[in-house]
Amino acid sequence: MMGQDEASSVQNATRRNFLNWFLGTTAGAFIVSVLYPLSRYLIPPKVEESTSRTVTLSIKPQEVKANSGQIFRFGSQPAILVSTPAGELKAFSAVCTHLACIVQYRADLGQIWCACHNGHFDLNGKNVEGPPPKPLEEYAVNFRGDQLVVSKKG
Amino acid sequence: MLLFAAGNLGAQEDTCTTCHLSLGIEKLTKPAENYKADIHVAKGFGCVACHGGDATKMGMEAMDKAKGYIGKPRPAQIIQVCGRCHADPRFMRQYNPSLRVDQVAEYATSVHGRRLREQNDQKVATCASCHKPHSIRPANDARSSVHPTRVADTCGSCHANAEYMASYKIPTDQMAKYKKSVHRKMMIEKGDLSAPTCNDCHGNHGAAPPGVSWVGNVCGQCHPVNSELFSKSRHGQVFVQMGIPGCASCHSNHEILPTSDAMLGVGANAVCTGCHTDQDKGGTTAAAMRQSIEQLRTEYEKAHAVLAKAEDAGMEVSQPLFDLNGAKTALVKARASIHGFKLDGVNAEVKPGLEISQKAYARGIKTLDELQFRRKGLAVSALIIVALIVGLVLKIRRLEGKK
Repeated sequence: MMGQDEASSVQNATRRNFLNWFLGTTAGAFIVSVLYPLSRYLIPPKVEESTSRTVTLSIKPQEVKANSGQIFRFGSQPAILVSTPAGELKAFSAVCTHLACIVQYRADLGQIWCACHNGHFDLNGKNVEGPPPKPLEEYAVNFRGDQLVVSKKG
Repeated sequence: MLLFAAGNLGAQEDTCTTCHLSLGIEKLTKPAENYKADIHVAKGFGCVACHGGDATKMGMEAMDKAKGYIGKPRPAQIIQVCGRCHADPRFMRQYNPSLRVDQVAEYATSVHGRRLREQNDQKVATCASCHKPHSIRPANDARSSVHPTRVADTCGSCHANAEYMASYKIPTDQMAKYKKSVHRKMMIEKGDLSAPTCNDCHGNHGAAPPGVSWVGNVCGQCHPVNSELFSKSRHGQVFVQMGIPGCASCHSNHEILPTSDAMLGVGANAVCTGCHTDQDKGGTTAAAMRQSIEQLRTEYEKAHAVLAKAEDAGMEVSQPLFDLNGAKTALVKARASIHGFKLDGVNAEVKPGLEISQKAYARGIKTLDELQFRRKGLAVSALIIVALIVGLVLKIRRLEGKK
């Protein structure tokens, strides 16, 4: 009888050890499985800020030449930062209101221009020539220190 | 000028209006009632400015022919009456310095004006046919008969009237066709008042059908890229030689429907098949241009679908979506470039669009792969959690059994 009890005790000890080992390993795996995705989600991806209403540009205000324009990313859509001949900074959606081509700034005209169908917009975004049926959406340009912050109006 | 002075009553009582309003005969009261909202009243002009007479006298004495009373002006008189002020730059400057004063000169060149002058045709349109007498409002007033949204109906009041137009032997379906057009749709449904209506292509005061050789110039006012490409193309020259209107041959004139890629090539809905077969050089070039554009469209749509799927699944794909705008631009430019009728010109626009689309598609696939990786990771984590819970339950039971 004693022999059977000892055998049973040894068997229980082995099962207990296995269960403890199994629990420890599973707990460890659990912690890793929780921390890894958390770290992946908490560390920002290596892409520029992407929001639907505001974007901070990597362009410094002092680097923008008068009578020039440059395209930047506003969420997934193109936008254009324009420095007027007087040096005033303005920003508009760069999506032409005709057939959604990307517009560009024409320093020789002092206008925003769409190459697809020769649409022209003035520096208030108003469609002034060619087929675009309505103005470009204008964004607000603000300064935060030496950073340019472009936001949707309203 | 004396007549204008007499007509310009300012705040002075106009006996014509007083009398007409008291007559109780609709034919006579309605003009006086309507005239209260006419732009000319707002500027101080009374009935005598057009009809003559003496608005300071009561009764029939006001309608004294000796004082220039002409009653209802005849068509030829209407041009003179309106032109007295509207063709006088010095006079008009007092009221609206930017208003054009060449309407009478333009009218003389119109089909209407020429028929009136040369054939004494009393049915043709004059000023009052379009600018409804006694209810004249500025063209930018939505109630005006010459407001862009109403011009088609104004012209159509004669030109869509088969009975009225029967003697001229010209079609009367222009208005019905125009109302199906993309231009009308843009104006009415999208509220784009710059979309063309009758007068934008035919002229307003100098209204006439565009000549075959200058249809392209008319369309080119709003579609300059397409127009320029076409006029420099071989087709541009050949069409003029053959006496075929450029744009209208493929796009129609009044019933200009939205364009589609199906119009290009030698397929069932292709407009090129009007002159070309699938065997001749023009037909094969058209088919090749269509294939090139279709390829870009397919690649663009494929990339967009993959990125949209990734975006819907919560993945960050704003950069490739942003890049893909370049492919959309290339597609639009490629579609415009077909008006040069050169395969190389189309391919020059298609090539960069294809590169952008293919890169964006690869990014989309990579993002979807990452999504799958995350999902699998989540499944493995869930399995581990379930195993942990089972293990804990067994441990607790064992501890309870030991007690």
